[in-house]
Amino acid sequence: MELILQNLDLLIFLILLVLGYLAGTLAEKRHYRSIIRREKALLKLPVVTAEGSFPVERIKNAELVCGSVVVSIDYFKRLLAILRNIFGGRVKSYESLVDRARREAILRMKEEANRRGAKMVINMRLETAAIGKNANRKKSIGSVEAIAYGTAVVLQKT
Amino acid sequence: MKFTARYPRDNVNVSKTHPLAELAWMLGGLVSIGVLLFVVLGLATDLAVERIPPRVETWLGSQALEQFSGQDSPALEQRLQKILAKLPADSILRNYQFHIFLDKRADVNAVALPGGTIVVFAGLLRQVESENELTMILAHELGHFAHRDHLRGLGRGLGVTVASALLFGKDNAASDLLAKSLLSVQSQYSKAQEQAADSFGLTMLERVYGNCSGATTFFARLARERKSRLPYLLASHPHPQNRIDSLNREIKANSCPLEQVLPVQADLQALIAASTN
Repeated sequence: MELILQNLDLLIFLILLVLGYLAGTLAEKRHYRSIIRREKALLKLPVVTAEGSFPVERIKNAELVCGSVVVSIDYFKRLLAILRNIFGGRVKSYESLVDRARREAILRMKEEANRRGAKMVINMRLETAAIGKNANRKKSIGSVEAIAYGTAVVLQKT
Repeated sequence: MKFTARYPRDNVNVSKTHPLAELAWMLGGLVSIGVLLFVVLGLATDLAVERIPPRVETWLGSQALEQFSGQDSPALEQRLQKILAKLPADSILRNYQFHIFLDKRADVNAVALPGGTIVVFAGLLRQVESENELTMILAHELGHFAHRDHLRGLGRGLGVTVASALLFGKDNAASDLLAKSLLSVQSQYSKAQEQAADSFGLTMLERVYGNCSGATTFFARLARERKSRLPYLLASHPHPQNRIDSLNREIKANSCPLEQVLPVQADLQALIAASTN
């Protein structure tokens, strides 16, 4: 008991670490399953970065569609990143985070375009921003925001 | 050109390494760096202990002495001189300028500091019941000097501190900071070091008095106070009983005579009385 009280800091750290790993892994797996399912459902809706040019009479409507998402790191990923700061190299623990954020943002944009009856999204742009810049400092939460926007094109029915 | 939607089979943007494997690699790396540092510091300390210059040792001693409060004690000094007079002519202890420092703390302990300072705690003095016992204790501390334990006792930070003192000078802020943060005077000696010092003490005791009385009585009193042997399995000091046993073996092997002990003299009695208050 005394041992536990003496090393309370360490104990809390370990609990947070295990919790971060379990909860983070679970959340990530569920998120990826959802991303893959929805991506496959919207596979037929093309998104291109090109400006595109259409004959005027074919276009019924062209609107801005936008999707954004904020994903947070967990305690375990943060520890891995801190260790990476010592050794250098790829911060692998953050790769999946940014990947998830980008794909989720594009997905939300595509879902929005799909709701409006668009046949494709052109001129898509993707931006990321860090929220809580001092993510590796104590007591601050690091998250990444990804925003995807483009022009949804609704075609005339022929 | 026809557009065919196809779902990519692979995700190139995310590394496949398992996060736990990554953690294990990096923690392993950290631990091995730590172990390497520990070993290198140990080697550096061994190197420093062998060839530390006297002026640096004096400086280290003055750094270490800051942790103690008390005063010089002429009564103890006089007894130390008696032992020093009996040292062999070629002893390395002849290079030292010894003096004794009496600390007011109640610990039953004495410490050998670099530069030839012996710190005796008031708690130890109160336990002393004969001149022979005190001689044994002081000679034991001299044993630590003779085996250069007083330098090793400062811990693994010693090598770095000495290197800094030699490179940047003793009065440099960096050396000062290193000495304050890396050196730990309280660190204990190993059982082997203690027993070697005991053996040295016994030899000196015989040289001073011509007999080995009082060599074990002090430890015997300590052993009675600390009955339990169990914690001593983990302690760095040998159990008093073990020290008594090995001292007795040595007394027998040298066929050293045992005679009447010298009672505590008046000046020492006054000192003990003063330290009790």
